[in-house]
Amino acid sequence: MAETLQTNKTDRKSRFYTLFSSLEQSLNGQTSRADHAIRRKSMEKLAQMEFPTRRDEDWKYTSVVPVLKPDWSLPSASANDTHSAAAGEGIKLYFFNGMLDQEVSDLDKLPEGLLLCSIADALEMDTERARVEKLLDKEVELAENAFVPLNGAFASNGLYLRLKKGVRLSSDIHFVYTNDGSAQATMINPQTIIVLESSSEMRIVESFNGQSGQTFTNILNRFEVGANARLEHYKFQLENKESFQINNTKAWLNRDSVYSNYNLDLGGALVRNNVISVLLDSNITANLYGAFLGVDRQHLDTQTFIDHAFPHCQSNELYKGILTDRAKGVFNGKVIVRPDAQKTNAFQQNSNLVLSPTAVMDTKPQLEIFADDVRCSHGATIGQLDETSVFYLKSRGIPDAQARRLLQLAFLQEVLDTIEVEYLHDYASGLLKAKFEETK
Amino acid sequence: MLEIKDLYVSVEDQEILRGINLQVNPGEVHAIMGPNGSGKSTLASVLAGREEYEVTSGSVTFKGDDLLDMDVDERAHAGVFLAFQYPVEIPGVSTATFLKSSINAIRKARGQEELKPVDMLKLLRQKAAELEIDPKFLQRSLNEGFSGGEKKRNEMLQMSLLEPTLGILDETDSGLDIDALKVVSDAVNKLRSPDRSFVVVTHYQRLLDYIVPDFVHVLSKGQIVRSGDKSLALELEARGYDWVREGAVQ
Repeated sequence: MAETLQTNKTDRKSRFYTLFSSLEQSLNGQTSRADHAIRRKSMEKLAQMEFPTRRDEDWKYTSVVPVLKPDWSLPSASANDTHSAAAGEGIKLYFFNGMLDQEVSDLDKLPEGLLLCSIADALEMDTERARVEKLLDKEVELAENAFVPLNGAFASNGLYLRLKKGVRLSSDIHFVYTNDGSAQATMINPQTIIVLESSSEMRIVESFNGQSGQTFTNILNRFEVGANARLEHYKFQLENKESFQINNTKAWLNRDSVYSNYNLDLGGALVRNNVISVLLDSNITANLYGAFLGVDRQHLDTQTFIDHAFPHCQSNELYKGILTDRAKGVFNGKVIVRPDAQKTNAFQQNSNLVLSPTAVMDTKPQLEIFADDVRCSHGATIGQLDETSVFYLKSRGIPDAQARRLLQLAFLQEVLDTIEVEYLHDYASGLLKAKFEETK
Repeated sequence: MLEIKDLYVSVEDQEILRGINLQVNPGEVHAIMGPNGSGKSTLASVLAGREEYEVTSGSVTFKGDDLLDMDVDERAHAGVFLAFQYPVEIPGVSTATFLKSSINAIRKARGQEELKPVDMLKLLRQKAAELEIDPKFLQRSLNEGFSGGEKKRNEMLQMSLLEPTLGILDETDSGLDIDALKVVSDAVNKLRSPDRSFVVVTHYQRLLDYIVPDFVHVLSKGQIVRSGDKSLALELEARGYDWVREGAVQ
């Protein structure tokens, strides 16, 4: 038995080695470029690491076996261009199976102060190389799990964005991903590096829209938020019901900066978010918010990690989920308050509704506090709909199913209401309502 | 309109109502009074369709149909409205959304078209103004953080909007100051008409100075022990409930 497991594991990794060889062959001599060195290094790192199993504490409730089972192909060059719509106006970057569609993307109307180019190109620039290496090369070395080097090895369309000091972007940047595995089971590796220089402000909106067939989106986001800068980051996840998404997002936060992450998980067969905020100095705010709605056999997992190492910082986390049918949800919120992080305010709440006897929610707040003058609180609840409220609505003529939907929507409303930007608030509400309609 | 015949109701095997008979004709206002624990609120709850109450025998018909056989929302569609003693707070559902959903659900059940958003808004604003409710209330979460008086006003707003054929008030007056009491009574009196009836459950005679009933029934230990006109309420006020309790024994 143990031997079989071992064979399977090697097998899974060896398939990625084969895939990598064919990728190298297709590159026609471009293997000497700096970006390829990172790919090779990532491959080496992957060889040293194992994919997580349920024996790993952080992966206790989520098995990645289904993700590693299919014989993944890399996106083919002949991508079509049926793109999903962006959440709103702004600078739109359209990706089909992870490949940037330069024709339709707004690459020609980039505002003053924003540098946007491929990571490969950035590595060739003397001004940018060091930053990219720090946020990619180094990150592969530090990889929190094997999906990080997997992305490093196979990402081909990584984007690098740098916003200059003091610039406040008036347009939001939309990353619109349309994924389709109908031709073949496709692995997509979006890779984004964003550097915000001091006192700059930017809002980015990622949307992942699944079409048909099976895809595996393996995201790597690395952000550096400079002193007094603000980054607002939205992710709307609408992968199709057969597909997988693993999201490794990390933000390095400097003095007086704010990073806000909003996450709406509605699609996908198996989804895992790893959202990490590293607070590198004092007076930093990290806001992590998420809502999820799992139906059928969906498996939606969110792990957050906030590392408080300096005084006078705050973190706010609010995650709410609804699970029905045979869906499974996982939340693990890790917060470390290191000895020097006095006057830290860390708030965490995870509330869930489990609406069927076969749905499951595992929630684990994990606060490790080593400073003594702090305000930290956490709460985790799992419950059902309040029947008194259902009765009240029904007594006013609202049918049972509609009453329950209204209350479920109301339950998640608290998370949606953290979105202060009106068009994004409306967009998120619309997506949620659509999912309720579709599953009623 | 409403006919209750020999109604027995238990909660967790404890008999609360023991043979209630009551006939409410169109246009009539009936007051149900009685001491605490007499079964007043149980009666209101059974009419509204609360599940924890078990009807062990007897019948309730509404406009000829078996009311007890109807689901809670169907009762509302048929024209029954219960003003709650303790309206439920529902965070995340705005009062406006709730009212719109309610009005349209009832219209739909009656084969009418949904109200256009513009007409709906106009209707909500107009009725809110009549009840001296600040329109800002409509944007707030349903009953969340409302004072007792505000909650009861909100109940009356719902009743005015839904225009039921039978309104049941479950101790709506308890804990209200005179001003709020007047708002509640005005709402009921405005709706009074030859084809609309009310059952007003109350502990205090005071409400009946404002909503003048056609009949007063006194409930004790799950039975109607005395019925009369509005003067019965005044007599109760003067002599207390012990007087009817003794009467029940005789």
